[in-house]
Amino acid sequence: MNRAKRPLWLSGLGLATLLLFGTGAVLALTVSPPDVNQGELIRIMYAHVSVAWVCFLAVGISALFGGLYLWRGRAGHDAWAVASAEGALLFAALTIVGGMTYSKPTLGVYWTWDAKLTLTALLLALLVGYFIVRALIDDRERQGRVSAVIMLVVLASLPFNYLAAEWFRTLHPAKSINLDGSGVTMEPAFVRILLFNTAVAVLAFSYFLLERVRLGRLESARQDEAEREGPAGEAVHV
Amino acid sequence: MRRLAYGLIGVVVLAAAGFMIFRALSDSLVYFVLPNEYARDPGEYADRRLRLGGIVEEGSVAFDSDRLQLTFLVTDSIESFEVQHRGSPPDLFKENGGVVVEGRFKGGIFVSDNVLVKHSEVYQAPEPGEPIDVEALKNSLQ
Repeated sequence: MNRAKRPLWLSGLGLATLLLFGTGAVLALTVSPPDVNQGELIRIMYAHVSVAWVCFLAVGISALFGGLYLWRGRAGHDAWAVASAEGALLFAALTIVGGMTYSKPTLGVYWTWDAKLTLTALLLALLVGYFIVRALIDDRERQGRVSAVIMLVVLASLPFNYLAAEWFRTLHPAKSINLDGSGVTMEPAFVRILLFNTAVAVLAFSYFLLERVRLGRLESARQDEAEREGPAGEAVHV
Repeated sequence: MRRLAYGLIGVVVLAAAGFMIFRALSDSLVYFVLPNEYARDPGEYADRRLRLGGIVEEGSVAFDSDRLQLTFLVTDSIESFEVQHRGSPPDLFKENGGVVVEGRFKGGIFVSDNVLVKHSEVYQAPEPGEPIDVEALKNSLQ
């Protein structure tokens, strides 16, 4: 009974995230200067880019725990992999919704099949597939193994997605913050607010992740109990 | 034996999916054609919808607001072509800015039904009288 209660520190993290989210929104909507080309529309960028980065992070974490599960076969690793995959799916959907919102007034279309957008649509489709496949498999060990392999495939697609606008001709603008040291083409005033909002998105994802892992543990504890009690109560799958 | 059969089916399905993704991507890989690429081989694009991308040439934009007729030159600093578009220009459309137009060539003139803006990865707060970085915009199209 007591185990089912959310720990105080986790509620605290959620509350702090909510407050910082408000701060990030104020920074983006009022403190940030307008852009010389896009004007006020630059404010959508803070939501779109931060969420896209966190989607990549979530796929990375899910693939890491999926890999650990393939290696060690511990149910705990699978719980982390699923929790992070749910976060990845949420943030992928938000990336696309935010991107379309940003794209229509700046580039002129909601959607177009350039390399960057096609790869992002593929990413979303694979993440949806991850959960369909899990739902189709009853055996918990196979469920974990198959979905871990799918997430590793998703991970392998990320470098192409990240560098799509550099490698291919796209409508999507190229990166402004180059991690290889070739410079930042975004003014520091924008970069600071973008990093703040990214930190908030990471916190929000962490909160979802920890809460989902906690629920996942409760869930599998219940399943274990039900299995130990045998076929008395629930129907048995053959 | 059953595992082998499942494995084979899996490989076939993956290969088919991979092939379809490749087909879709190779279409997306050349998202737009540059004016000099079109000029090199106009026959390849004859009677075909295509996207033409480049820079809006300075001083070439004319907009007839009564007839909603937009004309401008799209250039890659090697070749340029006249674009005719029925409709108003998008907000971020401007001279020396990146543009991608969808439509087809009719007698050396590109008749467009969709004007998309391709903006650079440069983001800066406006300063009065500051010129726009044309080189950076051109580089972003290469």
